[in-house]
Amino acid sequence: MGEMSTKRTAATRSWTRTQSRLGRQQARPAILAGLCGCIASLLQAWCVALILAAGLSGAGQHRLLLEALAGFVAAALARAALQAAGEILASRAGIAARRRLRGEALQGMIQAGPALLRDRHSGAIAALLVDRIEAVDGFFARWLPSATLAMAAPALVLAVAWLVQPYAALVLFCCGLAVPVMQAVFGIGAAAASRRQFQALSRLQVTFVDRVRGIATLVLAGRTEDEAQRLAIAAAELRRRTMRVLRVAFLSSAGLDCALAVALVAIALHDGGRLLHAAVSPAPGSAPSLSVNRALFVLLLVPEFFAPLRSFALAYQDRMQAGACAEALAWLPQAASSAPPDSPARPVAVAGVTVTLQDVRYGWSEARGRVLDGLSFSAAPGETVLLSGPSGAGKSTVIELLLGFIEPQAGRILIDGIDLREMAPAQRAGMIGWIGQNPMLFAGSLRENILFGRPDADTAALQRALAVAALDDLVAALPDGLETRIGEGGYGVSGGQAQRVAIARAALHGAPLLLLDEPTAHLDPDTERSILASLRELARDRTVVMATHALEAQSLAGRRIELRPAEHAAPPEAADAIPPMPRPLPAMVEPQPAMANPLAATVDRGVV
Amino acid sequence: MKPLLPPLLAILRLWRPRFPALGAGILVSLVALASGLALLSLSGLRLAGSALGLLLASGLLLRGLGLGRVVLRYLERLMTHAATFQALADLRVWFFRRIAVSAAGGLGFRRTGDVLGRLVGDVEALDGLYLRLLVPLSGVLLTLPLLALVIGARSVSLALPVCLLFVAVALLLPWLAARASTRAGVPLAEAQSGLRVASLDLAAGLREIVAFGAGARIAEIVREREGRLLVAQHSLARNGAAAGAVSFLCGQAAVLLVLAAAIGFGLPRISGLAAVLSLFLLLACFESVSGLVRAGVLAGSMAQSARRVLEAGAATGPVAGPTPPVPQASMRPTPPADATLRLEDVGYRWSADRPPVFDGLSLAIPAGARVALLGPSGAGKSTLASLLLRVVAPQSGRITYGGVDVTGLDVAGLRRQIAWLSQSTHLFDDTIRANLLLAAPDADDAALWTALEQARIAEFVRSLPDQLDEWLGENGAGVSGGQGRRLALARTLLSPASVLILDEPCAGLDSDTERAFLSTLFEVAAGRTVILIAHRLTGVERLDRVWRLQQGRAVPAA
Repeated sequence: MGEMSTKRTAATRSWTRTQSRLGRQQARPAILAGLCGCIASLLQAWCVALILAAGLSGAGQHRLLLEALAGFVAAALARAALQAAGEILASRAGIAARRRLRGEALQGMIQAGPALLRDRHSGAIAALLVDRIEAVDGFFARWLPSATLAMAAPALVLAVAWLVQPYAALVLFCCGLAVPVMQAVFGIGAAAASRRQFQALSRLQVTFVDRVRGIATLVLAGRTEDEAQRLAIAAAELRRRTMRVLRVAFLSSAGLDCALAVALVAIALHDGGRLLHAAVSPAPGSAPSLSVNRALFVLLLVPEFFAPLRSFALAYQDRMQAGACAEALAWLPQAASSAPPDSPARPVAVAGVTVTLQDVRYGWSEARGRVLDGLSFSAAPGETVLLSGPSGAGKSTVIELLLGFIEPQAGRILIDGIDLREMAPAQRAGMIGWIGQNPMLFAGSLRENILFGRPDADTAALQRALAVAALDDLVAALPDGLETRIGEGGYGVSGGQAQRVAIARAALHGAPLLLLDEPTAHLDPDTERSILASLRELARDRTVVMATHALEAQSLAGRRIELRPAEHAAPPEAADAIPPMPRPLPAMVEPQPAMANPLAATVDRGVV
Repeated sequence: MKPLLPPLLAILRLWRPRFPALGAGILVSLVALASGLALLSLSGLRLAGSALGLLLASGLLLRGLGLGRVVLRYLERLMTHAATFQALADLRVWFFRRIAVSAAGGLGFRRTGDVLGRLVGDVEALDGLYLRLLVPLSGVLLTLPLLALVIGARSVSLALPVCLLFVAVALLLPWLAARASTRAGVPLAEAQSGLRVASLDLAAGLREIVAFGAGARIAEIVREREGRLLVAQHSLARNGAAAGAVSFLCGQAAVLLVLAAAIGFGLPRISGLAAVLSLFLLLACFESVSGLVRAGVLAGSMAQSARRVLEAGAATGPVAGPTPPVPQASMRPTPPADATLRLEDVGYRWSADRPPVFDGLSLAIPAGARVALLGPSGAGKSTLASLLLRVVAPQSGRITYGGVDVTGLDVAGLRRQIAWLSQSTHLFDDTIRANLLLAAPDADDAALWTALEQARIAEFVRSLPDQLDEWLGENGAGVSGGQGRRLALARTLLSPASVLILDEPCAGLDSDTERAFLSTLFEVAAGRTVILIAHRLTGVERLDRVWRLQQGRAVPAA
């Protein structure tokens, strides 16, 4: 566990490093705009100080003052423009970064394929693609520019201050140095604690979302009030702990305030003292107005000096959010450099292909052992093979292997003599049509959903596909026909109709090999019968491999292959790998409940 | 365009119990602000005065102000954050209770989990209302009069335009920004949901996409939707940058006016000291409100969130008859012991424009009977369960439990008597134990294991590393669909209800296990009424009655 979290932190850190490098290039224009703005504000401060000093002394050349006023206006306009430009450039940098990250994530997801869905809810995958990547905007748009500006801009201010008033520069330097020191003193412990707190807070939010989603279940169980109180207590407890953390964390912001106040007061008092001295006993030959001018200038520099440090501190939370995104992206397989090949190649043979499985072995996980242990069969062109057997016998596993979603751990799968692994994904997709238990209907029109099987199909092909799926009557009855919208998640479409859409899709796709995975598992008997009739129509002239339950198998003609669940769920190798246990004392040799279940036994050993 | 303020004010009214804490936070922030203003302007004054040979602000005063400002800012941060957390927690609990009421009225059953999840996002979005809007806005109450007084005492003709510029920065521009962001919010939200729908399609349809080799096509759709969102966001950022620039220029114009007055250029001349004091005060004041334009942008979206939250919270169900907001024993404390259910000539339709689900439905289910209701999808099997549990009320006819009309019974009590395993029963992001205990909070481990055995899932739970304490994950993500259904079934079996409505309890079971489960159901539910809802029977159920739902009526089946 500890090792895993270290690995994760390391992955997060390397992700952050890579992204910082990529993002900093994009952030360069925004940083440049920030620096130019800083120079303009220095110029402005100089003009202001000049005019105020003249106002105080009552002297000063009118023409010079008007020039200073004009300079102030020009600098103000420049600053406004630079500030706006900086914001727009930062937004652009954030957009470029998100577009890049989302593109990478998309490619990774499509390459990883359905394997992702095994341990993640599709909602979580979509949330990664949308929300997690949106949340990373601040990292590129705010954090990266402000991290550079927090160093460069104060340095610039300091250099100018040094030229004008070395003492003030020294004060600013010391106070500025104190900021990171104080942040280190109060911040390091607080940062770790606040990261934990941040997690606790987001956990509470997740719990809240979860309880709201399940509100109907809670209401029916009569447990609303209990849950409401539990939520309130959890929130109160979290608040107490959060405040304890914040009490320390806010000390580092107080450090920034403190540094600013010290610098301001120190410079005001020191320069004030010198000016007072000069005013009361003027030294011969000195030019006091210039000195006032300089003193006011450095005083005006104090807020300028601390402003970039403040926005740096504000942008820190953007950095933390990026960490969360990095963790979420880390489990996504890295996209290979080559882009996935485009639309599938058209199938070559229409009359069916030969499918051969040679001694195929596959197990979903070591703990559960092999599902398929040396399966061999062959389906001739145009032949229908029905795979039957109880759940867990590996029917769906065979279909997934043929689809290429998973690869056999031993043995070979050949289509027309070519190893499935040697086929390009597009070639494979062109050979294979597939209908599963719950076909996915995409948001869009009925036409778009059917054309999913072959986007460039003509009207005649579409009509033929509708006829095969027995959808033509239904489409004719719909007021909008093929243009009927199908809502998010396929609303307004019954299970039978969805299955018909899938059949039409497969018919349009026209692949010579058809894989069917219990296509009528969730349908009532009447619908099932008519869907099976459509499937028989679709199966004509094609090679079909179908995972079936009893009723389906009875009504389809074909060769039946009975799969049996692997009797020994724990693979023999796994047992061998475990060192022999010291012989226990006779009294201890009791049949343990866990031993009755090989699965449990393996899990137990795995933990030890 | 919808008004901005009413929804935000309504949220504030909900926070009334927290007014002392919220008010104290604002008060401290005002004092902190005052000390900050004093520090900057007195520092300037001290420096300027020295040049004239005057000691205008003592070093002690300045040091005191500096220290005071640091301490007060620290206190302000602590107090305003604590108050925000409290207010937000209150809002969550309030929202949860209101949603429960509307769910009890049947609305929650038709709203998808994702819609609810988005509503939760709206609740969380209101966290900026106090910290980023109210606190800085109340600062204006201090800064505006101060500017008017301090500058006005020196020169009214200078104070007037400066104050107008300040009002523009502190109030007018934020208000305009809020309006603009409300307007821009609609296309932005559309672009966002467009991307979300495309991403959900991609994720849920990964199998189809890979099988049909449609990866590049679908990725192109996601990219195109993303492009639309990014364009909308960028135009929003451009507007924000423009508003920020205008706000900045207003502040600079005010400084320019003071400078012009200092040299008597176009404005009546003010003394050098007055100019320094005015300038430093003005800089500090404008600085304190510079964030408000951004807060205005936020306010626009917060108002929309607030409106959605309030609408969701205000909705009540279509249930006729009493639905107390907090289920209390207002009617009959406990439903009758006799668990006979009777539906008499019940008519129901979900909405006026849809065909009736039931039309003259009559059924009698004696206590302890085992019955089945069969029918294809859409025949109203789940609607019947909703009627029995008073999630919805019939438009005609009546439903009695133990001879009493259910509309006269306490809803909470009724639901304790009737347990429903629905198609959409939710597994919570919690341990298996916590999920089971939902049905019977006092059950011991032995009872939990018995229920798990009965639901044919005990062996699986035993194989998990943490057994009963295994964490299930979001929507039961840690288990397969079939395993999740069986856990939900175990929860239903555990409940002490005398009537069990099992809607497709065997979904996700293979046929052997299904038969084994159905044949033991008999012993499991000894003495309890079992209403089995299915689209077909396996033949092993030992049932007292079987009905088929057809054309809104129940027809006895052989």
